[in-house]
Amino acid sequence: MLTSICAVIGFPLLGATINGLFGWKIKRKAHWVAVPAIALSAIFALRLFSQVLAGHTFVGDLYPWLVIGKLHVPIGFQLDQLSVFMITTVTFVATWIHIYSIGYMDHEPPMGYARYFCYLNMFVTFMLVLCLANNYVLMFVGWEGVGLCSYLLIGYWYEKASAANAGMKAFVVNRIGDFGFMIGLFLIYKFVGSLQFNDVFAHAHEITPAMATIITLLLFTGATGKSAQIPLYVWLPDAMEGPTPVSSLIHAATMVTAGVYMVSRSHALFNLAPLSMEVVATVGAATAFFAATMALVNNDLKRVLAYSTVSQLGYMFIGVGVGVYAAGIFHLMTHAFFKGLMFLTAGSVMHALHGELDMQKMGGLLKKMPITAITFIVGATAIAGIPPLAGFWSKDEILAGAFVHGHKVIWFVGTFTAFLTAFYMFRLIFLTFFGEPRDEHIHEIAHESPPVMTIPLIVLAIGSALVGFAAILPHGGVAGFLNHVLASGHHVAEAAEEGGGVEHMLMIISVIAGFAGVGLAASMYLKGVPNPKTLGSTFKPIYTLLYHKYYVDELYFFLFVNPLVGGSRQVLWKFVDVVLIDGTVNGVAKVCGWIGSGLRYIQTGVIAHYAIGILGGAVILYWLRLLFG
Amino acid sequence: MNWANLFFDLFAVIVVILSVITITRRNAVHSAIALMMAFVGLAAIYVILGAELLAAIQVLVYAGGVMALMLFVIMSVKSDEQNQVKQTHAQTLIAAFVGVLFVVEIGVTVWMGFLYKNTGALAKSQLAAMGNTEALGTVLFTKFLFPFEVASVLLLAAMVGAIVLAKYKLER
Amino acid sequence: MTTVLPVPNLAAIGPEILVTVLACGLLLVDLFIPKDRKRAVGILALAGTVVTALFTMRYWNYSATTFSGMFVVDNFAVIFKEVFLFATAITILISLRYLEIEKVSLGEYYALMLFCTLGMMVMVSAADLVVIYIGLETMALSVYVLSGFMRFNVKSSEAALKYFLVGVFISGILLYGIALTYGVVGSTNLNAIAETIKLKGLKDNPVLMIAMFLLAAGFGLEIAMAPFHFWAPDVYEGSPTPVTAFISVAPKAAAFAALIRVFVVGIGLMAPHWQVLLWVIAALTMTIGNVTAALQSNVKRMLAYSSIAHAGYMLLGILAANTTGLAGVAFYFFAYAFMNMGAFGVIILLRREGIVGDEVDDFKGLAHTNPMAALLMVVFLLSLTGIPPTAGFIGKFLLFSAAIKAGFYWLVVIAVLNSVVSLFYYFRIAQAMYMGEAPDSSIPRPQGAPSLTVAIAIVGILTLFFGIYPHHLVELAKASVTTFIPFL
Repeated sequence: MLTSICAVIGFPLLGATINGLFGWKIKRKAHWVAVPAIALSAIFALRLFSQVLAGHTFVGDLYPWLVIGKLHVPIGFQLDQLSVFMITTVTFVATWIHIYSIGYMDHEPPMGYARYFCYLNMFVTFMLVLCLANNYVLMFVGWEGVGLCSYLLIGYWYEKASAANAGMKAFVVNRIGDFGFMIGLFLIYKFVGSLQFNDVFAHAHEITPAMATIITLLLFTGATGKSAQIPLYVWLPDAMEGPTPVSSLIHAATMVTAGVYMVSRSHALFNLAPLSMEVVATVGAATAFFAATMALVNNDLKRVLAYSTVSQLGYMFIGVGVGVYAAGIFHLMTHAFFKGLMFLTAGSVMHALHGELDMQKMGGLLKKMPITAITFIVGATAIAGIPPLAGFWSKDEILAGAFVHGHKVIWFVGTFTAFLTAFYMFRLIFLTFFGEPRDEHIHEIAHESPPVMTIPLIVLAIGSALVGFAAILPHGGVAGFLNHVLASGHHVAEAAEEGGGVEHMLMIISVIAGFAGVGLAASMYLKGVPNPKTLGSTFKPIYTLLYHKYYVDELYFFLFVNPLVGGSRQVLWKFVDVVLIDGTVNGVAKVCGWIGSGLRYIQTGVIAHYAIGILGGAVILYWLRLLFG
Repeated sequence: MNWANLFFDLFAVIVVILSVITITRRNAVHSAIALMMAFVGLAAIYVILGAELLAAIQVLVYAGGVMALMLFVIMSVKSDEQNQVKQTHAQTLIAAFVGVLFVVEIGVTVWMGFLYKNTGALAKSQLAAMGNTEALGTVLFTKFLFPFEVASVLLLAAMVGAIVLAKYKLER
Repeated sequence: MTTVLPVPNLAAIGPEILVTVLACGLLLVDLFIPKDRKRAVGILALAGTVVTALFTMRYWNYSATTFSGMFVVDNFAVIFKEVFLFATAITILISLRYLEIEKVSLGEYYALMLFCTLGMMVMVSAADLVVIYIGLETMALSVYVLSGFMRFNVKSSEAALKYFLVGVFISGILLYGIALTYGVVGSTNLNAIAETIKLKGLKDNPVLMIAMFLLAAGFGLEIAMAPFHFWAPDVYEGSPTPVTAFISVAPKAAAFAALIRVFVVGIGLMAPHWQVLLWVIAALTMTIGNVTAALQSNVKRMLAYSSIAHAGYMLLGILAANTTGLAGVAFYFFAYAFMNMGAFGVIILLRREGIVGDEVDDFKGLAHTNPMAALLMVVFLLSLTGIPPTAGFIGKFLLFSAAIKAGFYWLVVIAVLNSVVSLFYYFRIAQAMYMGEAPDSSIPRPQGAPSLTVAIAIVGILTLFFGIYPHHLVELAKASVTTFIPFL
């Protein structure tokens, strides 16, 4: 099995190496290297999946990497239900996104084309390392690696200043999260004496609850960075500056879910720290809700999807936070399908409209690009939680888990967010694909994308429609499969059995929420109901303001944005984003500036001053020692 | 308190005063002369400590050779007026403060460390055993053979370095 | 009285003899080589260095003490000698063309470099404060001259003079420290010092404490740890770039090795005292280095400050005073030699007619004009930042985990925070290379001489290789510090 694991990781690595070293020669044929590499990897991953399904798991080392004292960190892999589930999802989705990229990137200059596929392969390599690692350090290698590739790919169009800055922002914000992750790792090493997953989890109970809380909170800090949760979510919307397949692969389907995977993988630690679990669930719920409200008002196709991703990641954290790890991971998988799909369709629209992203300028694209439109609708239906598509099953499991475990508020927030999700997704659909074209020129140039792009769309759409049924497969479905690893899910299943009736009711409520969202969107954007005139007579001063082309947007700007988004905007955007994050990013530079300009006075270039500094330093150090020693 | 100790203190103070003069004179020649006298004072201290050979070498090499060379350079390179250099800058006060602090720090600790403890006796007894030319030679070629040899390489490197920096005419 | 001259174990100083003969030989050979062919001297020096390095490897597990206990050969000495020789070889490789461009191609350059190497080798093998001092001076004198090698260049001369003045100042402080130690203990031999401290219970002696401070200051200069770092940025910026690469790695390593030997072997019993001292120094060094580096627009200056910061990280290894920490320092110096010399190599690559190549702006568009160099530079930067899978990450990981093990939590927090900050300035370079616009085509493209390309490629591959497969090097580093186990 080790050979197969090496093959899974090795093929993309080989592809990246070939394209990296000989890209200048391969140029436009780069995809002939990259796509087979990833496809072979996917085939091996599927083979491993079937083996795990048959009950064979594997933990083993390729070679000792860092062995010093008692610390033993190997290059070693752990293939169990959880990791195989991840790698199958990653390689499958990645394969189709690679294929799609051939069409999407065909306007690129040859050198850039090879570079792009090199990065993409490299990204998959690191992602697989992250998923397959059997210890925290190797996981961290993958963790940093995907961050690096993400940085390179966001900044792929580095000619655009915004792209370059977005790449930098992503990398920097992630490093802030990694800071927590690293400290967490060191503490684990200190208190458990090992960083191998098996050892850590076997000896987890030796950690005091307080220390377990500190460690898990530090790990979760890392997860908030990578998985774009409050307060470190801000880099993700900006990351949309990258090519759309990148957004699809990295910023929707795979990398951003790494945090969820890491928390699930560390479930043994998190189970020891109820407080941390509470924090995870709360942050998840808050992120899910606020990100969804932000998606309501945005007119940028990709940014709506980006906020939606942040929101859905919040759901996953609700899942792992309330202890239904399997549901979180399951949602991760279904999300990879439908959100990956939606980004690709957005890319297809962009491709057809020469980079236009403003939904207000679109409309009526259904006839021009039917495959794109229909696949998008499939994806949106899935995310809206309409049965029997994928999103329904996984979201329902999470919300049911939250309810059953007594997190009623979180359940309510989640359900309400489901309503919002359905609403903004269908608003997007109606604005983009239905109605009258609002910009004639754009409508003129629109055309359906080539098959190399539409086939991946169709495949992923079928996936989005069907993967949800995995939940009701025999032997407990996905949950039963994953719970071999995520053992704590057992009592969840028991709890669910007790409240079987409750679960059906919850299911019905969330379906109603989904349909309500779709219905409201349909009535507002297709029929104009609630009628602006009726509303206008009620709100006379507002009416004059709204009697314009964008009246619907203006309306819910007043209904939702001011109370909800306005609030979240004031708090989150103004405070967290501008003050905290930008503040931190710029602040580090600024503080460096202050201190540095102070230090610059010392660094005069005059030797005599240096001599004083040296002597004075020695004197001060000596007195310090007397004071504190 | 015996005579040797008294003279030691006397010469120590003289050397310190001469050193201060060295670094405060505007005229480079005056500085050089003060430095030479400080070297002689050091030689006197060596004599008091029983290291006659070292004292002789100190006088011959430093006060005689090195300083003569230095004076020669100073006088041949520049005229008298140009030898007027300002040796102090704005940092005098801070430097003095830090310097005094450093001296106090070390002085107090050394005083406290050696007072009543007689730790210095150890070194003294060793000094007595080797306070003559033969002992120095012996120790240089037995115990300290290795540093002695490395020092010769050090001098070679210094010589090569000096030649590189001073002699070569580089073709620009 | 008849004195019998001792018969020292000359085999033990084989590598030192070889280097001395090589250096003197180069001086002689240089006489017969015409001015425009001085490159031959360099190649000869390179060959000699490689041979010495291979020869030194035979001393692994050869343990001996000779010259009346003044000179020891143990694995710790051997592994550091390999660091020096490796750094020397790479420096010679990256110097060959640089000296020709700068029109200072002289045979003495290589001889001085080897004298410097000799000094460092003596330092790391020394078991006596006097020998350490002599070795340090040999190294320092050669480096002063090397840093002023471009005599007609004001900055270079200034660098040499500053280095020299600060160097002699500190040398006085170091000597004072040695004298005080001798005054209290009555010996300069490290083992004898340890013995006396133990027998007489001198570990809290205030005079020894002062001596400890002065010794730390003395070594601190070459290590460039705060507050003894002031000279470093000026000297690094002014010196010829290959020399900068050299002094940012090799003398630092030598001073570190000496510091370890003196502190762990000599005054190991005073560990609680010097741990407090080094704690403060390490925190200061990392922070000052990183914060100031973030401000620089000159890459050489930036790397100077970053090298100060790296010294701070490495201090964690000594501070931890356990096998992992000391082995971490040894490992880190290899990693540091690879990545830092690589980064300076790329700067040298940018040196061409009319362009000095050490400003961040000079890196703009390097990804277009020379993609391989840009890629390798990214590897070096990643490694310097400590991002896997590079050797720098492994090194940092070892150091930090050692410090955690020893219980220095807050210091590790400071260190990790610092390595986050370091990302800001390292990636300014990456951003310039990949995201900056290429300069117009009138400026000559950076084109590496074969020797330079080889050097950068070697260190680049090693940086990655020891990031992915560090096992053997870690094992070697671990074996190298077994000498110190009785003292820990």
